[in-house]
Amino acid sequence: MNQKIQSLVLLFGLAMLPFVFTSCEKDPEPPIEEEVITTLTYTLTPTGGGNAVIFRFQDLDGDGGNAGTITNGTLAANTTYTGSMELLNESETPAEDVTEEINEEDEEHQFFFQVTTPDVTIGYADVDGNNNPVGLATTVTTGAAASGTMTVILRHEPNKDASGVSDGDITNAGGETDIEVTFTLDVQ
Amino acid sequence: MTTIRAQDCTLMISGNVVDTDTHDGLRDANIFLEGTQNGTISDDEGYFEIKNLCEGDYHLVISHVGCEPHYLFVELYQDTILHLHLDHAHHVLEGAVVSGQSSKSTTQTVQVLNEQKILDDINENLALQLEDITGVSILRSGSSIAKPIVHGLYGNRLTILNNGIAQSGQQWGNDHSPEIDPLVANKIKVIKGVSGLEYPGSNLGAVILVEPKRIGNEPHLHGRVSYFFETNGFGHGLNAQIQQQLPRFSWKLNGTYKRSGDRSTPDYLLRNTGGQEANMALQLEKNWSDASSLNVYFSSFNTDLGVLRGSHIGNLTDLEAALQQEIPFFTSDTFTYRINPPKQKVGHQLAKLNLKHFLNDSQWLDFTAAAQFNNRKEFDVRRSGRSDIPALSIQQFTYFLEGKYQQEWDSGWSLKTGMQFNLIDNTNNPETGILPLIPDYYSYEVGTYAIARLKQRRLTYEFGARYDNIIQNVATFTDDVPREVVQYNEVYHNFGLSSGFNLKLNEHLSLDYNLGYASRNPGINELYSSGLHQGVSGIEEGDVNLVPEYALKSTLSLAGNVRERFSFESLLYYQDIRDYIFLRPTGDVRLTIRGAFPVFRYEQSHARIWGWDAMMFYQLNEPLSIKATYSFIQGDDLTNNEALIYIPSNQLSGVLKYNISKWKGLENLAFEITNKYVFRQDRITDEQDFVAPPDGYYLLGLETSTDIQFSKTRLRILFKVDNALNTRYRDYLNRQRYFADDWGVNATLGLTLRF
Repeated sequence: MNQKIQSLVLLFGLAMLPFVFTSCEKDPEPPIEEEVITTLTYTLTPTGGGNAVIFRFQDLDGDGGNAGTITNGTLAANTTYTGSMELLNESETPAEDVTEEINEEDEEHQFFFQVTTPDVTIGYADVDGNNNPVGLATTVTTGAAASGTMTVILRHEPNKDASGVSDGDITNAGGETDIEVTFTLDVQ
Repeated sequence: MTTIRAQDCTLMISGNVVDTDTHDGLRDANIFLEGTQNGTISDDEGYFEIKNLCEGDYHLVISHVGCEPHYLFVELYQDTILHLHLDHAHHVLEGAVVSGQSSKSTTQTVQVLNEQKILDDINENLALQLEDITGVSILRSGSSIAKPIVHGLYGNRLTILNNGIAQSGQQWGNDHSPEIDPLVANKIKVIKGVSGLEYPGSNLGAVILVEPKRIGNEPHLHGRVSYFFETNGFGHGLNAQIQQQLPRFSWKLNGTYKRSGDRSTPDYLLRNTGGQEANMALQLEKNWSDASSLNVYFSSFNTDLGVLRGSHIGNLTDLEAALQQEIPFFTSDTFTYRINPPKQKVGHQLAKLNLKHFLNDSQWLDFTAAAQFNNRKEFDVRRSGRSDIPALSIQQFTYFLEGKYQQEWDSGWSLKTGMQFNLIDNTNNPETGILPLIPDYYSYEVGTYAIARLKQRRLTYEFGARYDNIIQNVATFTDDVPREVVQYNEVYHNFGLSSGFNLKLNEHLSLDYNLGYASRNPGINELYSSGLHQGVSGIEEGDVNLVPEYALKSTLSLAGNVRERFSFESLLYYQDIRDYIFLRPTGDVRLTIRGAFPVFRYEQSHARIWGWDAMMFYQLNEPLSIKATYSFIQGDDLTNNEALIYIPSNQLSGVLKYNISKWKGLENLAFEITNKYVFRQDRITDEQDFVAPPDGYYLLGLETSTDIQFSKTRLRILFKVDNALNTRYRDYLNRQRYFADDWGVNATLGLTLRF
């Protein structure tokens, strides 16, 4: 073997060195999932006084892993409630209040309420800078005793000017769904 | 200063021009001496002579109707005889060629896009350019994101070699285009047979080779500049290439800049579908002696791609709402170049060093070292100003080493053998604040192969074997909180075997047969994906228990060529894959705080893919020719008794071309009418997709082009109209079809100046 080939082989051997010395393991840091919403709490307080009714969806490990848990509430017949929405990211300690983020960007967000329980109506009690509804504050009125469901939807970047959207009709809203949770809503 | 005396000007350049493929003499070829008014035309047999030339340096341009022009530098000091070979541009099929002298040197079915074709499609990315080859389809996500599919296989199963180096990036993603600028290449080849075992990567699918040409022997600075403008999206771009051979080394520099805004369908603008691209490549060559040469190559690819705003959706309810929309949400009447989230920002850098050493005339060694750095960031529409933070941010570093030995014997035998090392280091940047879909990992790959070939007068026989050892070192996170790191260490062994022959039946007919068996280990995404894939609005789950898949593929091709007038190629292929890994809808729906999401899981099935690619070219008379292609493909999941998803539709196309060699000052004047019909993919059932596959569609294309020779430069002008009838359509393999129509009419003007 002549010298040239020997030096080529040596070069090749040297170039292989990184393969020998890099056998180590990856040790990544988990990302801080600050955008996740783990918990939705919808608190309904009777305007005439009395105990508040709480609806809650909680899923601490996000989209994967274990399924979320749902807490349903029962409303009294022929009553008016003040509704207040709270969103938390409990994957962080202390828990982060996502409601504030929504409040700051209220023009880009809107809650929609789809209720199948007869005689229950949910109206918006707040507005954004353009005088369009947001849905962090609501007014809920019940009629006679009945049972059904309530679906709470939070849309990011909906078209609030589209037909029906500011009245709470989601059909033409578009945008992305950040939250969609269905509760059992019974009126007694 | 030398004074030119009359007696110096008695020299002659003569010779003949032949077709590279058929070896027939080409008549009416233009031979022009740049910088002079001197030139001539070849006779019936392809012979020519130019007399009364003075001693000196000459640049020759040899052009022929339907051929890519040939450029040659001659230092003239005595009478010179030239034998010139011209490639025919309209025979895009290399396989359809039966050489008059001997059998071809490979048993593979190879199809080629040449430099002129690449520049004529300057406004298209790599995948769109490849679509012109029969049997190649593209999987698209909107306007500018496209990846090639060859014979039904893509992504992890398709190897793309950029200047000999296997492209290494996030190929697993259906919405990830290959990060290669086709304008850097002078030749793009698709090996459709049982792919060459000498190339690293998967041995199951085809191989796409993107190849820059070697630098010519031109001592002066030469190059080309191309510019295009297109009406759809008001896209425009510039590509320039310059090269020179210096006494010590040769160099070539290539750069591209492209930009486009919102594309449009026949009825509305596709909001946020613009794109921007800036690329460059540098090539250096040095020869020490006849025996040793060094090649250095560096390329940089950088792009920003917009994703249709209306295709960015939340959960299943959003998807259903979007599917109901005639015109996508967020559609605007205002055109813009601006690219907002959702968007992708991708960079890919490649550095390569290649050393070739001839031990003697029949033995040589080849060493390659290459490094690639791929950086992919994807931006989603996020809350509270987080849209500027990528939702996916991955860096991949790949280090590659190869040693190759080749020997040829007088008996016709040749041997090619080599060893390859590949190291991939994949890292997610934690900046995203989102649990990554693909984990961090190292992958160590060592491969070795040997290919023996016997070339006889009418028969070429080939046999090869390959072995790869792959060690994957993966770190994933747990599904539940608090998140912990879970380590996986897997070792895989891949085997490949192939054999084939090429038989020249007679002067006009050639037969190729290939048979291959290969295994592929499950990819990182198939094993460890976990979480929400926003682009497809589904939860994707890998399965760590997947086993390697085994494939048997055979191809049979028959090609014929009768002088210049008629040529055809027919290619049949059949592939049987055991434990074929694919993402299957489970039918389950997972409830999250964001609503319901369908769950997809990587599963294994017994799959079968088979098809037929056919091409026919016929020269009706002197200026008029027709070319017809047809591709048929069928993919079945034999385990679940249903069709495979993402299998291309069948396609039929016909091109009528009128091409004259010279008209007034215009050379190689051509008019083309392209008709393309894509059939409906009607084998997919309703359970397999969110919506039924769209209807078949017909597209009309018009094109005209010509070359103009000036004293020292040559100009090519091209004007084409795609989707000339402004047809409204949606394509099965374009994921944007759930939300919007495909592009409407697009007119493109292209100019290329060579100097």
